[in-house]
Amino acid sequence: MPLKRRTIVWLAGVVVAVNGFIPALWILATSLKSETELMSQPITYLPQAPTLANYLQAFTEQPLLAFLWNSFVVASLSTLLCVLVSALAAYALTRLRVPRSQLIMAALMAVAMFPLVSLMVPLFKLMRELGLLNTYLALILPYAVLSMPVCTLVLASFFQDIEPDLEAAAMVDGCSRVGALLRVIVPLSAPGVFTAAILAFVNAWDEFLLALTMLNRLSMRTLPVGITLYQGEFAFPWPLISAALVVAIVPISILIAVFQERVVGGLTAGGVKG
Amino acid sequence: MTRKSLSERSLGFLLLAPAALLLLLIVVYPIANLVWASFFDIHLAEPWRGEPFVALENYARAFADERFWRSVATTSIYVVVTVPGALLVGLGLALLANLPFRVKWPVRLGLLLPWALPLVFSGLIFRWFFDYRQGIVNDLLARAGVDALAWLTDPRLALAAICIAIVWKSSSFMALMLLAGLQTIPRELYEAAAVDGATRWQKLVSITLPMLRPAIMVALIFRTITAIQTFDIPYAMTGGGPGDSTETLAMYIQKTTLDFLDFGYGSALATLMFCLSLLATAGYLRYTRRSARREDA
Amino acid sequence: MKHLRLWLVAALGSLCAAIATAETTLHMFTGGQQRPDVMRKVADEYQKNNPGVKIEIEVGGATSEAQQQYLNTVLAAKDSALDLMLIDVVRPAQWAAAGWAEPLDGYLGADKAKLVASYLKAYGDADQVGGKLVALPFFADAQFLYYRKDLLEKYKRPPPKTWDELMETAQVIMKGENNPQLQGFATAGAPIEGTVCTYLVPLWGAGGELVRNGKPNLDAPEARKPFELMGRLKVAGVLPKNIGEIATDRIRVDFQAGNVIFAQNWGYFWNRVENDADTKVKGKVGVTTLPADKGGKSATCIGGWQVAVSAFSKNKAEAVKFARYLSSPEVSKTMAILASNLPVFPQVYKDAGVLKANPWFADALPVVEGAKSRPVTPRYTEVSDAIRSNMNAYLAGTKTTDAALADMKSRLGTIYR
Repeated sequence: MPLKRRTIVWLAGVVVAVNGFIPALWILATSLKSETELMSQPITYLPQAPTLANYLQAFTEQPLLAFLWNSFVVASLSTLLCVLVSALAAYALTRLRVPRSQLIMAALMAVAMFPLVSLMVPLFKLMRELGLLNTYLALILPYAVLSMPVCTLVLASFFQDIEPDLEAAAMVDGCSRVGALLRVIVPLSAPGVFTAAILAFVNAWDEFLLALTMLNRLSMRTLPVGITLYQGEFAFPWPLISAALVVAIVPISILIAVFQERVVGGLTAGGVKG
Repeated sequence: MTRKSLSERSLGFLLLAPAALLLLLIVVYPIANLVWASFFDIHLAEPWRGEPFVALENYARAFADERFWRSVATTSIYVVVTVPGALLVGLGLALLANLPFRVKWPVRLGLLLPWALPLVFSGLIFRWFFDYRQGIVNDLLARAGVDALAWLTDPRLALAAICIAIVWKSSSFMALMLLAGLQTIPRELYEAAAVDGATRWQKLVSITLPMLRPAIMVALIFRTITAIQTFDIPYAMTGGGPGDSTETLAMYIQKTTLDFLDFGYGSALATLMFCLSLLATAGYLRYTRRSARREDA
Repeated sequence: MKHLRLWLVAALGSLCAAIATAETTLHMFTGGQQRPDVMRKVADEYQKNNPGVKIEIEVGGATSEAQQQYLNTVLAAKDSALDLMLIDVVRPAQWAAAGWAEPLDGYLGADKAKLVASYLKAYGDADQVGGKLVALPFFADAQFLYYRKDLLEKYKRPPPKTWDELMETAQVIMKGENNPQLQGFATAGAPIEGTVCTYLVPLWGAGGELVRNGKPNLDAPEARKPFELMGRLKVAGVLPKNIGEIATDRIRVDFQAGNVIFAQNWGYFWNRVENDADTKVKGKVGVTTLPADKGGKSATCIGGWQVAVSAFSKNKAEAVKFARYLSSPEVSKTMAILASNLPVFPQVYKDAGVLKANPWFADALPVVEGAKSRPVTPRYTEVSDAIRSNMNAYLAGTKTTDAALADMKSRLGTIYR
């Protein structure tokens, strides 16, 4: 590649990376500063006297590890549920001859897109009636719904692209319909499933308002809510919170870094068609 | 009907059942509750008033409520600015990220990191970036010789700052959708165009954009629905201030329902917001179907 | 077979144990920053003296609003999961009206009069709504005028008694110090609860009242005074330029860094600016009553937290007992020493141990005694929203005094119908 082109490509990469990393880097730098340094004038970018004290405090002042665990459990299980349910629905709507599938799809999407925030009070009442408050299920179920539109869309466009008569061919060979589904379709859709899973996981990991309402025992709190607990009625200790934020972002960043190829690939193979 | 097609239909409905059940439980039943509540006058902090049935009075109140219309106007500003804004920025980022890099993951990670950062914290971080004294925006302006701007206390600047934060955050997901779309465009199309002497701009306009249309539409629908529900970022950055000039409909609903405990009115507002979202989605769908028909013609 | 028998024995055994102890578990809700760690110590002490009662402390959101919104959701659903709650001083009226707080009169019987009289008056009053006692004061708070002793001494100015004096002193010091970072007077200006006090304190200092005879009193000339005062301070450069985004803790941080002369803030302020490791103003902090208008009487905004018993609790009697324990001079002393909470009992301010831990309490007592309640109404959140958003708009320059007052009048008018 000629030098000029290589430089342009390199610059482009830097622009994209910097745009994404700036707040993350700022949080990282802040987590190593003391509050006085943060408030001093003129403002400093790199920490003058880096300290790990904030990280220590982050783990001792609040049960940060418990928050991490809760987020992990809720995100994983809701992702599982969401992908399963969305896959079944997407399959039914795209590969089985279901009457008015377009209408059903549109209805599904419309309902699932209702702002869950406005449903907070009726949802809370519902969870209370079901005795699910302060259990993981109280979040797993709404989160599965939260990501249903996106996952269904991704999986639907994915399924649409698979050879239309693959199941028929398998059934000619003696498979049952369900057998064809399991032995042929599922392996083929792995990339799409992967993508849908990551989308659902990130949505669940980052959700705040519902987590605030449904899981309120301190030991049950998820990460986004737990992190707001570091602030006081009046105080907002940025360095401390930044340290907690770094701990919160690292797992998901690793997840994305490792699977980014698959995420983009999954959307590609399905050819986001809408 | 042959036996085969009958069982196919039944199987189809069977497979749809879990999704339907989940939606019924988590969305439909609470929505029913909500819409039902919107026809009553429910003030939780004043139970002696009872909960009288008031039919459409809450809706009439909304139409006469200045603050409601102001919040709708503010929300519209966010939608009109950040949806195309995120699209443009997302498209730019996607085009850049689509270039052949030797090491892909730092670029991809940089592309997706804003999406992975919880909304609440993006808001808080940008609150700090735009802080009058300690924010990096004013610091950079100072280094360029420009006076510090009162970002979060001037209503117009506050709107701008919030839009910047929202565009930064949402362009990431847009870029993801568009990047996927970009990667499906066959290279041969570009090569053929190059042979015909097309410039890079022409390639963009006549190949890339049309091929991206489906991805763009999907991304726009999601972005618009989310934009109508904007809450976290303005809440974290200005709390709706100065005054209530940056307050969105979702913020007003939350305040009315959970702060003022005016459940009936809050439910009516939430129902109105849902109708707005439905309108937007319907509009998009009609546009896609019409343009798809035009293409086929 | 052997295992099954083992299981049965274990099950029966624990069943018997459970019946034998017949433990009552009380769930208490407190905010993240009301020192749940100190509460735990207090609760453990109570458990020791009251076998058969177990106290579980549930820690909620960090801000009064976050906690309230969570509690709103819980109580609206009539949930019995919580027995006691720590609530902000502005909540009792709302809770009484909504039927969320269990009135304590029945449980206290003859003791009630004596108990109420033992509190600082304003705090005892704040918990009585419609003649019923709906919560017990736990710890007090108020807004104080903090100032840089050293700077005032340097320029030979006494602590200001009137707003005009404050403005003059600030101007003299700012001119003399010639430090562009130095703020003359810092108070809350962002659309937060504290900004309500930014309006009320000068209003009261001018002899005004927000509500008179159950109706908003905003046509009175005093109603304009807070806006006009802030306007004068802003024009004179005494208020920081970005006052519209200043929240409570920002003031503390700026003061701690040595960049504020006068600050209007709550009780937690003192400990931080004096004792934080990185403070630049140790030993230089003075505290006194907030200024008033010439000839007016200084008044401060009441703050603090109360213990309320949930109306939906299944263990009301035990909960009330624990609440009375919490709201006692002994626990007040513990909270004062361990958490630097201002006591609600006047005699505790003079306790030697308390003064040793918080020497400034001697100066604090007269301020706390002059505390006035923010508007007492079940719809307080709407009142607060009307006041704070207009004061914020005025400070940000987006509304004139007339526009702000007009909006306040119309909003408060519908609330105080």
